[in-house]
Formats: sequence, C-alpha cells, structure tokens
Amino acid sequence: MTSICFYFQVHQPFRLKPYHFTEIGEQHFYEDYQKNKDILDKVATKCYLPTNQKMLELIRQHKGKFRISYSISGVALEQFEQFRPDVLASFKELADTGCVEFLSETHFHSLSYLFSKDEFHRQIMKHYWTVRRLLGVTPSVFRNTELIFNNELAKTVAEMGFKGMVAEGVDRILEGRTPNHVYNTPGNSEFGLLLKNYKLSDDIAFRFSNPAWEEHPLTVTKYASWLHSHAGEAEIINLFMDYETFGEHQWEDSGIFEFLQHLPEAIMSHPDFQFRTPSEILTAYPARDSYDAPYFTSWADTERDLSAWMENKMQQHAMHRVYGLEKEIKLINDPDLLNVWSRLQTSDHFYYMSTKYWSDGDVHKYFSPYESPYDAHIYYMNVLSDLEKTIQKSLPPCRISKRKAIKAKIRAKEIPVKMKSRNKLRISSGLTV
Amino acid sequence: MNQRPKILTLGWEFPPLYTGGLGPACYGLSKALSQHADLTIILPRLAPSFSMKNVQFIGLNRKTAARSQWKNKKQASFSSVEAVPSELQSSYPIHNQYNFKDTDDSFFTREESFQLFNEENIYGPSIMEKVAAYRQNVCSIAAHKSFDIIHAHDWITYPAAVQLKKITGKPLVVHVHSLETDRVHALSRNKVYEIEKKGMEAADYILPVSEYTKSNIIQHYRIKAEKIVAVYNGYDQEFQTANTRAKKNSATPTSKNVLFLGRITAQKGPEYLVETAKKLLAKKSDVTFYIAGTGDMQTHLEWLVQKEKLENKIIFTGFLDKAGVKKMLSMTDAYIMPSVSEPFGLSALEAAQYNIPCVLSKQSGAAEVMPHTLQSDYWDTDKMADYLYALLHYSGLSETLTEKTSAHLPHINWEISAKKVLDVYSSLLSTN
Repeated sequence: MTSICFYFQVHQPFRLKPYHFTEIGEQHFYEDYQKNKDILDKVATKCYLPTNQKMLELIRQHKGKFRISYSISGVALEQFEQFRPDVLASFKELADTGCVEFLSETHFHSLSYLFSKDEFHRQIMKHYWTVRRLLGVTPSVFRNTELIFNNELAKTVAEMGFKGMVAEGVDRILEGRTPNHVYNTPGNSEFGLLLKNYKLSDDIAFRFSNPAWEEHPLTVTKYASWLHSHAGEAEIINLFMDYETFGEHQWEDSGIFEFLQHLPEAIMSHPDFQFRTPSEILTAYPARDSYDAPYFTSWADTERDLSAWMENKMQQHAMHRVYGLEKEIKLINDPDLLNVWSRLQTSDHFYYMSTKYWSDGDVHKYFSPYESPYDAHIYYMNVLSDLEKTIQKSLPPCRISKRKAIKAKIRAKEIPVKMKSRNKLRISSGLTV
Repeated sequence: MNQRPKILTLGWEFPPLYTGGLGPACYGLSKALSQHADLTIILPRLAPSFSMKNVQFIGLNRKTAARSQWKNKKQASFSSVEAVPSELQSSYPIHNQYNFKDTDDSFFTREESFQLFNEENIYGPSIMEKVAAYRQNVCSIAAHKSFDIIHAHDWITYPAAVQLKKITGKPLVVHVHSLETDRVHALSRNKVYEIEKKGMEAADYILPVSEYTKSNIIQHYRIKAEKIVAVYNGYDQEFQTANTRAKKNSATPTSKNVLFLGRITAQKGPEYLVETAKKLLAKKSDVTFYIAGTGDMQTHLEWLVQKEKLENKIIFTGFLDKAGVKKMLSMTDAYIMPSVSEPFGLSALEAAQYNIPCVLSKQSGAAEVMPHTLQSDYWDTDKMADYLYALLHYSGLSETLTEKTSAHLPHINWEISAKKVLDVYSSLLSTN
C-alpha cells in the first residue's frame, strides 16, 4: 500500500506597524492591529473557512478514509482566538472527526533553536498546551519552523519525547534516493522522519495556476496518475504545503477547490492507495534508510537553507539583538514583556528583511507588509530599541552598580535564568490523535 | 547594422569644460558609442588638446584653428577633469531670471559668433543668442558633412537639431538630461519649455536619462510614450577604485555626519533637508549635517538655518573642489538627496562608490538604478528623518545597503547605455 500524507502549514504572524524613531521610549504598542485583523479576515474568507468546510465534507464523504494533518502556529491560533473564533471552531470540528492530526511546533513560529535551546523548549511546550486547550488534541509529531532541520535538532526533538518529525527532502542530502519512505536520523533508529516530496508538493502549491508551466492546467486525473505511477515503489508520498495554497496563493478561480474536491476519490481509485497522517505512518512503516543532515536545511526558496532569514547583515544583527535580550527578559519574569519579546521572534520578521530577490521582486515581496526589506528592518529595530528601554527600566530597582553586578552574574551563569528543567518539559509520548 | 553608423552629435558641455551632469554624461556616452559608431561632435566651445578615438570634434570657438590640430592628441580621461557637479556657481541657469531676447530670426556674423562662444560662461545672460548662433553655425557646417542620424543633447542644441533635420531630412534623436520642468517648476511654461517641446515633437526618438524623466515628458510635454526610450546614465568607474573610506576623526568617534552635495537651488530640495535635520536633531543631537555646494538659494537657506537655531548642526561648506569633495565624502556616514525633481542624480552614485548609504528622493532617476537605497518622497521629511536615524543607529542596515549597492554598481555602465542608443539608431536606419 502507498500512503499519501497531506500536511498543511497554517501560520499568520503578528505584523509590526510602521514604528517610527520618534516613538522610541514613548509608545510601547508595536503591532499593526488593523492590518493583522484585515489580513486574517481576508485569508479566513478566502482560504480557512471554505477549505476547512471542504475538508470536513471530504472526510465525511469518504467515511474516515481521507485523512490529513495540520500544523497551526501558536501565533495563528492566538489570532484566531482574538479575531476569528469561527475559524478556530472549524479547526476544532476537524479535530473532532478523529481523521485529522495536529503537529507540534514552536509557538511563535520562531528560529529559536538556532539561538537558545531553552527558549526552543519553552515555545514547544507553550504550543503543546495551546493546542490541547484549543483543539483538544495532543501533538506527538514535530515540525520545526519552515521545516528547518539538522541532525542535532532531530536529537533534541527526540529527547523531548516526540516520535518523529517532518522535514524537507533536500536533493543534496538524498543524493538520488527517494523521499518516498520513512527515514531515521544517524544514531537514532527510533526517531522517524517524513520527508517532503517537493516535486509533487510544489506542483500543487506553486505551479497549479501558472499558465507558463507545460503541465498547466493540472487536472485531478493527471495528478493522480503521477501519484499512481509510484505504486509498488513508494511506501509513502508526503505532500506538504502552506494551507493558504487553497484560495489564497492559488485563487478560487484557478479551480483549486474543484481540484481538491475530486482529488481523494481519484487517488483512492487505485486499490493500493490510501491516506495516512504522520503518526499513523510512523507506527505503520519502519525506517528504510538514514537521512544525514549535518547542516541546516529548510523548505524555503530554491536554496532550501537558512538564507531566507539570515542572509544579510540586517537579519543577522536583528536576530542576535532580539535573542541577546533573553536573559534579562527572563530575569524580569513579567509575562507581558515575555510575550512581547517572544512575538518578535517570529521568523516572518526576518523574512521581510530579505534582500535576496529584492531588485527582481518576487515571493518575498508578495508576503511583506512593508515597502522594502529596509523598512522592515528599520521598524523592527525601532521596536527593539523601545523594548530594550523598557527592559532597562524593569530590571530590579537597585543602584546601577548593583544592577551591573547582577547582569555580570547572569552572564557568568551564577544565577540560573528562571526556567523549568528540561526533564519537566518532556512530553508524554505515545499519545496519538 | 552592417556598417558603422555616422552620427552627428550636437552637444553643449564637454569635459573638461562643464558645470553639471550634462558634460560627463555626453562624454561617457560618446566614448562608449565611439566603439560602434563614427561620431562627429559639434560643441560651442572645445578645450584645447582634447580628442577621442573615432570621434571628430568641432569646437565653434576655434573653428578656424583647423581640425587637423586636434588629431593624434593624447586621449583625455576623467582624471584630468577638475570640475565636479556641486561646485559651479555659473551652472545651468534658472532661465526665469533672464529677460530673453527673441533670437529666432537673428543673424550672427562670424565675429559675433566667435565672441559669444568664447565668453567665460557657456550659459549666462546671452544664452539665447548663443543658442541661435549655435544653430546658425551648426547648419552651415553640417551642410558639408555626411551623416546618418542627428543626436542632440538638451534644449540648447534642439533649435539647431530641428533646423538641421528640416534641411537634411535625416532622423533626429534628442537626449534629455534634464527638463525645464525639473529646473524651474513643474508648471513652468517659458521660452525654454517651448524649445524643449518643439525639439521633442520634431524628434524621431527621445532618450531621457530615466523612467522618471520619461514620465515627466509624457505628463508635462504631452509627447507620446512610443517614441520615448529611457537610457540610464553610466558613471565614471575610475572614481571607484581610487579610494576607501577614511578613518573617522577620533576626537568625536560617536558623532555622525550627514552630507547634502549639490547646488543649493529649489530643484535640489535643500529646505527639505533642513526640515529633516530639525526632526532628527530633536531626538538625536550628535549629528552634523553638511551642505556642500552653492546656489541661488544659499542666502535664504542660511537664514532658515539661523531661524531654526541649527547653525552649529548644519554647516555650509561652500564651494568644494574635487579634492574637497573627496575628503567630505570620506568622512560622511549618510548621504541625502532630497531633490524635488532629479532626472538622474550622478552625485548619489558617487556617494555610493564611497560606500556611503544613501537616502534618495523617489522623484529621481538614481532611485531607479539604485534599488539598495532608502527612498522617500522629497516632501516626506518624517520618513527621511526615520531613515537617517536608522542609518546612524543600525549598522546592519548601512552594511547591507552598501554591500548590495557595491555589488550592483557594475550593472550601471555606459556600455549598457550605448547598447540601448545603438538599438535606437539601428531601428531608425532600418526604417529609413
């Protein structure tokens, strides 16, 4: 049997408003409330509500044979809760069918793993409890922000009790091997890896409505025949994409919803094809090979590395500066301040600062709420400057010399930053959806 | 094109005699074009001992000193050029200040012509007489020349070009380095405007130096877009390798310098600089602004700076020679060009060569060819202050801007410009 594994990424960042230098030290509200609300409304109408409805119908129509998975970032969940409870309710309805798995990720859709393991743990746990609270399900498979992955990261995630994670199937690591079976990581045979089949995923996510593509228009029959051509050879085919593909990146008039409507039926018309969620696959299929990623990979851009967020000096400076605040923020231990700081870690902020294709204009530009990567950086750094001022004011009220001494002690790790120990963070594994 | 086209170029300024962007632009373009075409360049005044390969120069000031004298002279390079755009007082005049004589039917004797062309200022109050004398002389000289296309640079040569086209029937290309609507006011409709309009109407092709200028031609001169092709300027790349940033003065390591380099005229928007400075200085006091250049608005601007009590923070350097400009650039942290209307803006490219991050007016051609700059509407002083604050505080920003800009600079060169002009030439020659 070949199992088709659909995983959809749902994410909306809290975008920052144009925060001017004159506001530094004066005004401490950073987010663009109206823009965030407007974008969420737009995407809810064009994508989340109609697609969720369609998925629900398909699950009911196929009586549980159509199975899918999602990862919804914590900041997206928070925005649903704040602006669109109806969207949250429709995801809850999907969760209640038992045919839908929800994956774990960092709550703030952050790059925290690259800078702080403690923060990485904290955010995974925050997301874990948020998903349980809002959707009533327990994640057991992990996906990292933008499918950022390497061996070390897999080890850290495995130690937390997850049974596996999803990642990009990068050519330079696969070296001609198929992404269509379960892999494990070097030195850890128990921890499973599901690799994205980027060719078949991107046919839907990026090329579906491109008239210049030689396969355009993509029909259900054609696409199903491509999948069926792997019969006998592929154990699994992982189709990972942004959920916003449906109705937002590929507009309704491209026929994406009709495509979706008939796809499960067409796929299952072949007797050897079925749908499975990530944890079901990890239970059902053994790892066939080892996927060795000594360096970081991701699913972004053609480079599939970290360059979308860390290529230029603006991105690097901004990232180091925000993570440089971690110890002081955690020392102050004010939940509001912690939350403000955490939201500034969302990877989108750094993505907006990317100059990689700036002069050509492209996908980075499409997603950015700002006029240029430079504006994105400036507003972000202005916000950080204000946050730093607030932090300085909130540090324990003592003489400057004493405050300096405390900071020195933190640096020397004499005072532990207030964090739960890693053991406590370990999730109870074995719980499935 | 099977054979090299013969181009009759009508120019006004040419190095080493020039006052603004026109001279270097004509030089750079002609040099690149001369690889692919035979050029004859007629100028009102030609400096002695100046020559270029494949180019025949005719200086109306020295017409009697036979052409053979100019041949086989050492090729001139920019390194010998002493003038830079910012420094000239007698630059492109603001034409509303003169009461022009009607010179359409004037006739100039040989002596009168030569007297005009040998005046110290190649513009000046007698500019209209010079334009008319240029027209008359060009037409009589060109009658003996064989050429395929007329290529005229800026309005001062347009009357000659238009008349020559009438006489010879040869196709006409007019190059637009700046417009009266840039120099004076968007709504200016004076004698120069009329000359520009007539020239552009008569032309087969119009080559403005930016898309921005193209849009102005369409909007203010009512010319059809089909015959307008924007050809970006290149720049003098020799300038680039010559230098690196000087070390900052150690006495004031934290103090930052912002530079405005250009004529102090309404077109360059110096008032917006003062407004921006005021906003920035309210939050950050350790910044000094330098205004390098002179111009008709200087007195007004000095008064404005005094009124705002910013004399210690906004310094007028006055006239700077080439060495002075280099020194100034080497101690600058951020460059600002708040021009109200700037067809190209060569000085921004010069600043970029010194690895200085730039804040540019969106109303400029330079903003089009330099994507890795901070761009704002000239009137949006809040935004410009935001940009300057960020440039002076966030080193990641200025490093990214300068890195990306230096990687991009090689893509701005005269060979690319010449290629575009040659395409225009060949389309004209194939239709004729």
